[in-house]
Amino acid sequence: MDDYANPWLHRLKWAYLLLVAATLMGPVFYVMYISFNANGFGANQYEFTLEWYGLIFSDQLLMGALGWTLRLAVICTLITVPMALLAAKYYKAARNKVLPVFLFLAPLFVAPDILGSALLVFFKNVNGALRSLGDALGTDALDGLFQLGFGTALIGLIIYTMPYAFVVILITMGRYKPEQTEAARACGANGWRAFWDIEFPQIRAGVFSACSFTMILCFNEYTRTSLLKGGFDTFTTVLISQMLNTGMSEQSYAMSSLVSFVAIALIGGIILYTLVRSDSLAREARAKAEPVMST
Amino acid sequence: MTVRNIEGVAPVAAPLREPMREKLARWVFALPLAFMLLFFALPMALTFVFSVFERTMFWMEPGFTLFSYENFFFSARLENFLSSMYYSGIAVIVCFVLGFPIAVFLRKSVPQVAQHRVVLLFILPFMVSEIIRVFALRPVLQRNGLVNTTLQNLGLIDEPITALLYTHTGVIIGEVMSFLPFIIFSGFLAMEAVPKYIFEVCDDLGAGPVRRFLDVILPLAAPGIFAGCTFIFVNGLGVALLPNILGGAGAVNAGLIATQAIAALDFPLAMAVSAIMMTTLMALLYIGHRLFDLTKILSPIN
Repeated sequence: MDDYANPWLHRLKWAYLLLVAATLMGPVFYVMYISFNANGFGANQYEFTLEWYGLIFSDQLLMGALGWTLRLAVICTLITVPMALLAAKYYKAARNKVLPVFLFLAPLFVAPDILGSALLVFFKNVNGALRSLGDALGTDALDGLFQLGFGTALIGLIIYTMPYAFVVILITMGRYKPEQTEAARACGANGWRAFWDIEFPQIRAGVFSACSFTMILCFNEYTRTSLLKGGFDTFTTVLISQMLNTGMSEQSYAMSSLVSFVAIALIGGIILYTLVRSDSLAREARAKAEPVMST
Repeated sequence: MTVRNIEGVAPVAAPLREPMREKLARWVFALPLAFMLLFFALPMALTFVFSVFERTMFWMEPGFTLFSYENFFFSARLENFLSSMYYSGIAVIVCFVLGFPIAVFLRKSVPQVAQHRVVLLFILPFMVSEIIRVFALRPVLQRNGLVNTTLQNLGLIDEPITALLYTHTGVIIGEVMSFLPFIIFSGFLAMEAVPKYIFEVCDDLGAGPVRRFLDVILPLAAPGIFAGCTFIFVNGLGVALLPNILGGAGAVNAGLIATQAIAALDFPLAMAVSAIMMTTLMALLYIGHRLFDLTKILSPIN
């Protein structure tokens, strides 16, 4: 039946959609609510406080972990997004799409613990092989090239974030007409100028969205990082070890809420920007479409 | 030999350099592919090789033994793996029943300009750390948590429901809450293959919602639905944190077996579990590709 023939059914469907969205976010909002309670979880009396958040910022271990997480997220974004852009262009040009589809999307389907374990054993074996090779060549330059640490955690994060960045960029690229590049080339522009001056401005929104997604995903990732990080800690590894060791303390609630606030603010910002931009583009298009009145 | 022009500049060098640059550019575009081959496909393929290595005290050494597989298939691990497949299957069904109608509704009844904005609503929970979302379920589901307190306050139950946490039900709830957005995304993409006029044609022919769904929507949107369901199923099998945080003593999945093996320094066993998971995934993707051509998943955004 047509939804508009039965407006109540249409409203009911909207209500269901919003209920599911609210249910998915419900636990996160509940944790945020608890994080502002001076008496903690399960207390009969609710007393607003920012004390637990203050404790986070005075925790040196956590601040150090925050620094490492930021470094990882920034470097991962700087590598992943250009790679995803290249991957999307490669995919567009490829005649046989099975291999690129498989390689760029398959990490989504491999569970984090399985991928993390496979990479951990792979890196340890590569390290052993490189050490033997170095011994045979009489050099120690190859020792510890893939020792567990920042580099290996970074590789794990790039593999994890690549499918997301790839899909986001591919969606915006779908709106770009390749004839424009052909026209630019016909006008004498080289490949780089055709990309930078013609294509990039049109896919910029997708590239920046991919940057935001990659940053957030790096910030949130736990399993692969904890297996591949070696000696340093990230925000989530500290958070999870505290939660597993001492249970959900008031500080854990505040830490979880803080990470969620940052993610929501970033995604909320993107949503708002998209709405404002599409409205202004629509206004511009309407203004152009209106007939010019002669005086 | 370089031919010089009047000013003495070598102009012939430029056309020679061009094909070289083009060739280099082609290689640059293949860089991500090479990266994924080296650091994703190769380590995953090598799990099969490492799984037959012999275990030593702290590591493993090259050799050929099927002890890790024996260790997996002739122990309680197989039972745990099969039961996690069962519960993961339930989570897939629940996610599909709850999430796919949203994707259909979005494509069918929401104006096109608003569709992507509504999808963004479901990106929001996906962007909050999965770990935090799973941990956040504890205060919601536990004895004195939000669900029990609300139900008791409403007078619907007298005693708190204890089956919501530290049980298989808890794990299924966690899987549904974690992966539901994905079936909405993949369903939304899949529904691109179902033009809006199809619904009108079905209405004109008097086909009911069940017939329309089974005979029209399902075959057209199959690649996306399959991808979404496979994602949920495989992650349900492999995300160790879900049974670790929400499950009880009997809730163990493949991911948890692998991480426990690594903690016990039994690396060949961890690799055997990874290899079994990869085989399961590859078998599913192969069947899916033969049946529905999975490259069509990305065709809506091409």
